[in-house]
Amino acid sequence: MSHAGVDRGQEGSRAGGPPLVEFHDVTVAYGRRPVIWNVDLEIDAACLFGIIGPNGAGKSTLLKAALGLVPMVGGSVRFFGRPLREVRSRVGYVPQRETVDWDFPVNVMDVVLMGTYGRLGWFRRPGIRERQLARDSLDRVGLADLAGRQIGRLSGGQQQRVFLARALAQQADVYLLDEPMAGVDMRSQEQIFRVLAELKAEGRLVVVVHHDLRTAAEWFDRVALVDMRLVAAGPTAVVLTPENLQRTYAGHIDVLEELGRAVATRGRTP
Amino acid sequence: MLFGNATFFGGDPAIHGWAMATAAVVAASCALVGTLLVVRRMSLLGDAIGHAVLPGIAIAVLSGGRPGGLLVFVGAVAAALLTVWLIQGLQAAGGLAEDAGAGVVFTTLFAIGVVIVSAAPAGTHIDPACILAGDLTFIPFDTVAVVGFAVPRAFVAGTLAFIVLVAAAVVTWKLQVFTAFDSAAARAAGVPVATVTAGLLAATAVATVASFDVVGAVLVVALLVVPAAAAELLAHRLHVMALVAIILGVVGACVGYLAAWHFNTNAAGMIAVVLGLEYIAAAILAPDDGVFARAIGRVRLAWRVACEDRLAGVWREEEAARGRPTGATPTLLERCAAEWLRIDGSFVRDGVTWRLSPRGRREAETVVRSHRLWEAWLGRHADLPLDHLHPPAEWVEHHLGAAMRRRIEVETGWRQSDPHGREIPPESSSQS
Repeated sequence: MSHAGVDRGQEGSRAGGPPLVEFHDVTVAYGRRPVIWNVDLEIDAACLFGIIGPNGAGKSTLLKAALGLVPMVGGSVRFFGRPLREVRSRVGYVPQRETVDWDFPVNVMDVVLMGTYGRLGWFRRPGIRERQLARDSLDRVGLADLAGRQIGRLSGGQQQRVFLARALAQQADVYLLDEPMAGVDMRSQEQIFRVLAELKAEGRLVVVVHHDLRTAAEWFDRVALVDMRLVAAGPTAVVLTPENLQRTYAGHIDVLEELGRAVATRGRTP
Repeated sequence: MLFGNATFFGGDPAIHGWAMATAAVVAASCALVGTLLVVRRMSLLGDAIGHAVLPGIAIAVLSGGRPGGLLVFVGAVAAALLTVWLIQGLQAAGGLAEDAGAGVVFTTLFAIGVVIVSAAPAGTHIDPACILAGDLTFIPFDTVAVVGFAVPRAFVAGTLAFIVLVAAAVVTWKLQVFTAFDSAAARAAGVPVATVTAGLLAATAVATVASFDVVGAVLVVALLVVPAAAAELLAHRLHVMALVAIILGVVGACVGYLAAWHFNTNAAGMIAVVLGLEYIAAAILAPDDGVFARAIGRVRLAWRVACEDRLAGVWREEEAARGRPTGATPTLLERCAAEWLRIDGSFVRDGVTWRLSPRGRREAETVVRSHRLWEAWLGRHADLPLDHLHPPAEWVEHHLGAAMRRRIEVETGWRQSDPHGREIPPESSSQS
């Protein structure tokens, strides 16, 4: 957080105002062990943006850091040129499906309505407007007729779409999705992708953590390759080169791994 | 009869009414808080708080607070928050897992409480035995005047606690549910998750203190966890679950009290026993996943399989009559099923033998069609040898629906025969 307020620098200023999302020198550690090092990343236009990398590369961590869910040890993240707490309602988040207990006693409508809670504040209850919004969101992901169903009785793909509908009900301008296609059937994948493309067409930014390289090239306009540090970022066709992929997927850089372990144990590297 | 042999308890119904009402109202408070603890998988923390509030109460009483008074509530809430803070501190500092940390903290604090209470000068309103097991029988005799009536102090405190907890729950329910279901998304949406959780813990402390006089520290846990755990089996929405838990808690308290009166035994213990029985009943009778519902589901499936197998068996015999006869002997269940199919009209008499009626034939063809389609699908997608195809199809045939059959038909390229070369019957127009 110490860098908050420091401007990105001369080459970062754009004519169209501040970037939608700006990671500035972000380093995140679990405990003392850094898992993502010094990431600089700017996304300045509405698009479908993929964050791609192998397992354990720190992709999800990067999203969580941007949302303030894990503390950063250095750097800052700004949305629309402002700190997150000022623009929270404009940033929507879809966590990984496995992070919640799907036997929880709520139905589909209850979950989608949660998307409106941030704006409702502490004490106001969801009213007619919120319910309509939730129904519209469910309709968009193709689950309109399942509003009353207990969430444990949905398929994996339907659960993921419920999560997406909850984010839609928030009516955010930037969406951050953590592995929305993982463990999801083909029909749900297509439906999810169609909604994401619609969001982009409406001028919203959609950032997706994704691990499947085959689909990445066809789905995303721009990508960032990440493996404990940012390898490359930019238009998909430019970034997904054999050399960049080699650098991303060749295995973690052992220097970062060993250094991380040494920092965590307050020791030294060999 | 029910009240016949009450010796120790004596006979004044008003006294028993007050004691029972007090037990019911604290059970309701605990069930409400317990609902959130159970769905957040924090029951153990409820246990810890239930015990660890003791030193807070003891110190408050020794400083002049009355049992059930405001000072005691403040002491208890402070002790509860200290408990959670200590558990999290141990986790952060020593890497101690939360359950182990809770075990260390609450036993230590509880022991400190017991030591303080035991060392207390005679004449203070506190007694070690009462703290462990509670003492409902004496509650009606410690009264305060409420608009001219003598009302037991514990009942007044319990009712106030319940009203406060219900009000807090109604106002913050939305945030409690969001936090309990998906705390990461709640935090990202700006919900003050830490405050919401602290509020739940404070509520747990309040419910615990209100229950202390009634059931004692040991059985507070039963009131917190058991009704909520039973309600979780019966309800699919959180507010319904809370309501069911409250009802189960109140019923358990009343029935337990009456049973204790009848059998002349410890009321708190009896209440906990009744709550346990309620849980067992819920586990057996739960509509979706209860023991009973699952047994019925198994029996119904077995019966359907037997009927369908018999229909398909006769269909195959008729098919084979053009070639060679099949020698499958029906099981006892299948013979019963065949008897039923005759009554039901799926089989019709044809001279000395039984044949499929038009309706029976449609049903039989659906089963055989499902069977052979599945063999065709497996043969195409799994590349299995021929002898591996029949066994899975034998049970899959009972679970394939019309839409899936159509999909398989398309995927296997509208084949007319299964991999064994037998004809796949066409989809029958089942509506006609």
